[in-house]
Amino acid sequence: MLRFIGKRLWHGGLTLAALVTLTFFVMRLAPGGPFSRNRKISPEVQANIEAAFHLDEPVWQQFGRFVWGVLRWDLGPSTKHRDYSVNDLIASGLPYSLTIGFWAIVIAALVGVALGLAGALKRNSATDYLAGTVGVVGIAIPIFVIGPLFQAYFSLRLGWLPVGGITEGWRSLILPVIVLALPNIAYISRITRTSMIETLRENHVRTARAKGVGWRRVLTSHVLKGALLPVIAYLGPATAAIITGSILIETIFAVPGIGRHFVDAALNRDYPLVMGITLLYGGILILFNIGTDVVRAVLDPRIRNER
Amino acid sequence: MSVDVLSPETAPPRGTSTLQLQFRRFRANRLAMASVWLLALIVVSCFFGPYAFPFTGEDADFDFISAPALFQWPHLFGTDEFGRDLLVRVLEGGQVSLTIGFLGALVAGVIGVLYGAVAGFVGGRTDGLMMRTVEILYGFPYVILVILLSLLFGGGNLALFAAIVFTLWLTPAVIVRAQAQSLARREFIEAARAGGMTNTRIVLEHIVPNCMSVVIVYGSLLVPEVILSESFLSFLGIGIKEPQASWGNLISSGTSAMESDLRLLLLPGGLLALVLLCLNFIADGLRDAFDPNDR
Amino acid sequence: MTAEPLLSLQDLTVRFRLPQGETVAVDGVSLDLAPGEVLGIVGESGSGKSQILYALMGLLASNGRAGGRAIFQGQDLLSLTEAQLDRVRGQDVSMIFQDPMTSLNPYTRVVDQLAEGLIVHKGLSKSDARAEGVRMLDRVRIPDAARRARLYPHEFSGGMRQRVMIAMALLAKPKLLLADEPTTALDVTIQAQVLDLMAELGRETGTAIILVTHDLGVVARLCDRVAVLYGGRVMEEAQAEALFDTPSHPYTRGLLAAMPRLEAALTPRLGTIPGTPRSGGGDLPGCPFAARCTERLDHCTTIRPPLLQIAPDRRSACHLTEKTLGAAP
Repeated sequence: MLRFIGKRLWHGGLTLAALVTLTFFVMRLAPGGPFSRNRKISPEVQANIEAAFHLDEPVWQQFGRFVWGVLRWDLGPSTKHRDYSVNDLIASGLPYSLTIGFWAIVIAALVGVALGLAGALKRNSATDYLAGTVGVVGIAIPIFVIGPLFQAYFSLRLGWLPVGGITEGWRSLILPVIVLALPNIAYISRITRTSMIETLRENHVRTARAKGVGWRRVLTSHVLKGALLPVIAYLGPATAAIITGSILIETIFAVPGIGRHFVDAALNRDYPLVMGITLLYGGILILFNIGTDVVRAVLDPRIRNER
Repeated sequence: MSVDVLSPETAPPRGTSTLQLQFRRFRANRLAMASVWLLALIVVSCFFGPYAFPFTGEDADFDFISAPALFQWPHLFGTDEFGRDLLVRVLEGGQVSLTIGFLGALVAGVIGVLYGAVAGFVGGRTDGLMMRTVEILYGFPYVILVILLSLLFGGGNLALFAAIVFTLWLTPAVIVRAQAQSLARREFIEAARAGGMTNTRIVLEHIVPNCMSVVIVYGSLLVPEVILSESFLSFLGIGIKEPQASWGNLISSGTSAMESDLRLLLLPGGLLALVLLCLNFIADGLRDAFDPNDR
Repeated sequence: MTAEPLLSLQDLTVRFRLPQGETVAVDGVSLDLAPGEVLGIVGESGSGKSQILYALMGLLASNGRAGGRAIFQGQDLLSLTEAQLDRVRGQDVSMIFQDPMTSLNPYTRVVDQLAEGLIVHKGLSKSDARAEGVRMLDRVRIPDAARRARLYPHEFSGGMRQRVMIAMALLAKPKLLLADEPTTALDVTIQAQVLDLMAELGRETGTAIILVTHDLGVVARLCDRVAVLYGGRVMEEAQAEALFDTPSHPYTRGLLAAMPRLEAALTPRLGTIPGTPRSGGGDLPGCPFAARCTERLDHCTTIRPPLLQIAPDRRSACHLTEKTLGAAP
């Protein structure tokens, strides 16, 4: 098991290195630079600024500087947000992204699994149709349509919740969390339903029923584990995607999280900030992928033996 | 039950008859067929609808600025704050979104299928290397990859298109590879090889056609994904830019105006949701038709 | 049959609802089984033989419905609720399935799957139940049982898994064991071992067995009595020896003729009888075998031949035997 984790971590590290390297050079290759959009500034001032950020050095030297910085846990200063280091910006934005992402995935997992199970156990019942409808709607209506609609209705029309921002504490987070959870509820309930139906049809479940240990026990100790494995396989990457994909939510609801920083940074060619967030996102994604594999290996002895 | 020399799970080299059967099953699915017709209607209106109006979506009509939706000629759904006709803009935006969606899915699908077919068929070290590449690309956060790529290609429609295709060919590649791997061991491939067929021809004439069912099912899921990616990026201001319309940037500007006028959000958003809904029903229908065990 | 039967099937039917209409898989089967007896049910695939067992266990697919009666120890298994059935299943009646590769729970240690029934039904403690399970694995001759019991099913070979299934089924010392083609999925070389083991343990525990198979060699080897099934109906029923010596029904004769005569052949499978087996279908007026029968009479396709007593302990459903029977006395 330890060897398995070690191997996955090693592969993950390689992927992360590849990602960071690629991002670094792609950013430099992309037209424009951090200060090229500025209004008229004298060439000398521009040169000074660029020198201050080491942009006058050859690219490979800048890359070395970046790698050295990463090793010292220092991602450098932001070129857009003067006087802030990338570490500061990430530290200030990450809590919002994490909080919203965490609650969204928890709600999505609970509601999604419940809907999927109910639908599979009582097929073609009212619950099944409700779950199906939620599934279809959640997948078909994008976040950036349903988000503004929720704002228009719950905030502007009814005045129940703030439109955006973070000034009202947890009340500010309700809409972003719900909107972010919706498509995931849809996916999770679909996966749960399909996998549950498939598992119920499996031969070993029939064996368990033939043992006469009771339906409840058949469900809990013979069906659920197998049926939820695909859900778990989905949850890991989905959690990472939710945390890293909160860009839309943060834009719609004006939450000062990491996602918003990233888009701004990319558009403004804030090289250090882009690199920092890429590293963070890549790390989160890879860690969650590894975590998922480990959990699956723990639950499924066949996977465990394979490696 | 046909009497067949091959074992039941061995697909005949050319799956035309099965394919026909599967499409017949698809046509029997009412929801999916209704979605096909509705989608066709939307596509036709997007591409030909704007010709019915005496102006384009970029023409400003200063007599009607921010006109409400009164269903009166010529501005049936009113205009935006620049006096541009909303309906025409939404239809023209649809052209962009739909074109990118179908073309993007096609290109990503073709790349993925060929890549997967080659990897699965050739096997060995080549396969290992090709799949490791895919694995690494899978490890990249999707959003970062799209944004970076669209920046790299210098922004604009083509850059957007390339970025989306580049991020979406992975899944079809993995699926087709698995299929190709199992096909490569079948007798008829052996026979083809013994008959002196070149590898290229085997891949193109045997492997790829036999992966068609899988490809169609997953390809149909790719279309809504591409459309969603495009509108997502345009919504963020990275994709299609004003004054050209796309559903993403129309929704974005609708969002900023929603306090006064929800219609700017509802029309493009509703149409986008409708298209995604249709595409999902079609994909479901295809999956049921091609893999009846699933239900 | 002197003793009270352990199980008595009375006009058992199994029907399935399908999109294209209803299909009859088992069509009025009546059979008795004495305690400790081994009854073979033989037929080609699609003859409905497995569905009889599923009906008894309450394990029919959701679109299936069983009719008639199945009296086991005084109660009709078909009329029991799921909860009442659970008091019979796994205790008095056990079942072994066709495919040992998929019939065990892949996520649970073998020993825990064995112990489960004992814990639930007999209220044993976990450790006692496990010890009992290991003992049973030993009896089905799994080498190094104590260690292997802690493994997962995928770490066992097919033959070993089927032994586990047998151990699991006989653990509660059931009165009746239902075996649905227990060896078809196994290697030819170990089929015999597994079957002999099952029969042997069955004798030791005094368990009656219904063995469903399409393999006449298996029947000849293990069964006291045989019922030949075709199109969901019993064609002929007799003591095993009598059936093999003097088959009376044309279908039975066809089956035997198709069987390789070489004694050395390990698994004499069914060869071919011309035509396609009738599988289910709706209600049929005549004999289901009529279409393939070489000795068909005119009314075979229109009048259903009744299952008649043609000798002591012997029944057959054929207009031919009916005729000779009528002519003889």
